[in-house]
Amino acid sequence: MKKCFLGIDIGSISTKGAIIDADDNIICSAYLWTEGNPLEAVKKLLNTLKKDFDETLYKVVAVGTTGSARRLIGTILNATIIKNEITAHAIGTTSFYPDVKTILEIGGQDSKIILIEDGIVVDYAMNTLCAAGTGSFLSSQAKRLNVKVEDFGSIALQSKNPTKIAARCTVFAESDLVHKAQMGYKKEDIIAGLCQSVALNYLNNVGKGKKIQAPIIFQGGVSKNIGVKKAFENLLKSEVIVPENGHLMGAIGVAILARCENKERDFDFNITNVQFETKGVECHKCPNNCEIICIRKDKQLIDAWGNRCEAGSIKV
Amino acid sequence: MNNIIVGIPRALLYYRYQDLWLNFFKNLNIKTIVSPKTNKKIIEKGSSYVVDEACLSLKIFMGHIDYLKDKCDYIFIPRIACLKENEKVCTNFLSMYDLVKNTFPQLKILNFNVDYEQNLQEEDGFIKMGLDLNLNKIKVIRAYEKAKKEQKLLSSQKEAKLKKHLNEKNIKIMVASHPYNLHDEFIGIPIINYLKKENITPILSDDAFNRKIDTKGLSNTLYWTFNNELMSFIKKYKDNVDGIILLSTFPCGPDSLANELILRRIKNIPICFITVDNNSADTGLITRLESFIDIIKIKKRRKNSEQTYN
Repeated sequence: MKKCFLGIDIGSISTKGAIIDADDNIICSAYLWTEGNPLEAVKKLLNTLKKDFDETLYKVVAVGTTGSARRLIGTILNATIIKNEITAHAIGTTSFYPDVKTILEIGGQDSKIILIEDGIVVDYAMNTLCAAGTGSFLSSQAKRLNVKVEDFGSIALQSKNPTKIAARCTVFAESDLVHKAQMGYKKEDIIAGLCQSVALNYLNNVGKGKKIQAPIIFQGGVSKNIGVKKAFENLLKSEVIVPENGHLMGAIGVAILARCENKERDFDFNITNVQFETKGVECHKCPNNCEIICIRKDKQLIDAWGNRCEAGSIKV
Repeated sequence: MNNIIVGIPRALLYYRYQDLWLNFFKNLNIKTIVSPKTNKKIIEKGSSYVVDEACLSLKIFMGHIDYLKDKCDYIFIPRIACLKENEKVCTNFLSMYDLVKNTFPQLKILNFNVDYEQNLQEEDGFIKMGLDLNLNKIKVIRAYEKAKKEQKLLSSQKEAKLKKHLNEKNIKIMVASHPYNLHDEFIGIPIINYLKKENITPILSDDAFNRKIDTKGLSNTLYWTFNNELMSFIKKYKDNVDGIILLSTFPCGPDSLANELILRRIKNIPICFITVDNNSADTGLITRLESFIDIIKIKKRRKNSEQTYN
């Protein structure tokens, strides 16, 4: 049986999984919406992966998790490595594109830029703790305009004269958008304007002062929006590559990290049948009233976190 | 007069002047009570007293006043408007006295006023405060001079410690922010503790008190004293550290301009810019810190291996 490694990237909007072999080839992968419930999403993800996975040929020997729910899912799956998504993405992307110099990434809640020289990260920046100009911004504007966010890109391409929309802050962009719509601008022009404002906002906030050099890779959920991709190409005057597996880079990256850890732990797809329960409790031992998350597996406490001090630590 | 208790809020300028203030009162045999480290209740209380537009640091300050309001005879509220010619401090520091007076009308406030442009130096502020307490002027001046000496001694000890830290072989990350953010239990301390846990030496931007301010190349016209000091520290020590974490509380007016200048004009060193508001989940913060440290570690490892190779 060949050894292989599972990487799971649980983001705010979508959950991604990939299984790779010892030579970093993808054996199978899956992608679905998190829908605010990471536990359910991962169960569904594992069921999907299991269907394409030949258990007589391969054996998962290590699991890595990344994304905003990495700790929760990492605990449940007994992961060998739990890593932040920036490192995971950088590793995933450079394994496919060793020459890449710039990675632009716009996800559901955050956006970042990673600069790479000779295959290693030399600099990066991330949006401050504010979700302006990210995927969630586009989704909420799509709802307002009554268009599917998936159709945004193709609609934007129809526009010949994109409307100018304030790019600095989501709240301002939103009032600008409503105003322009009421004035009678065409829907496709407004949508194209939105795509441009996302790209401009990104370059002004996240990418400011950074030397953006080709080859440029654009990934994260928003990269599937061809309108934003085109806007980047116009602004940067350079080709922007959207990798086919762009949405999987985090999952692949953390699977590679799990491989490099050289630690093996048992993994079973049937974990989806196990009952997991999370419960938030408030510790009242001091005025901080920390919210502590307790994770139970078949009613047994396996981990807890969220306490600021020792008073709130729960021994497992 | 020796029986009074003066309450000092552990927030904002306390972190800049604590040695001077506490020793001044101690030298006059006046009892002081300092509010505890910031906790969630203090933040919640503080937020309820101020308008939404106030920065997190000011909300915290008001929470500390609330804690002290029935535990002392006077509350010490500094009003520091101007420390240098042609320079200003954030208007929050200027308005603090009036803000507290109007929010808590029943409070007895001990006012400490420093305003260079009105020719009110630090010493004048202390003398005026002493006279308000019906103390002997000579005694007050002596207490101030002694406290000033003690402050100088402590700050030179701090500077010696900084030099020692800068010579360590460990990875060093500068945490650059106003002292009231750096040392606050809910703002800077979680970051500093995280760095220590990762075996990184934190260099804090108030580890040395710079008398010679040099912001050339960053800005020649910025008139906020505290931001100029911060810039000067960054400029002086940036080449001795492996990375800089620039920390600000939302929405800080002076920082919004000064930090932009720093981000655009400080080159050749990774900077991680973090703005905190009253976020209760720290996932976003941990992601940023963890990835920032990863990058610095990888870079350092590579540099070391190249050196051995050469």
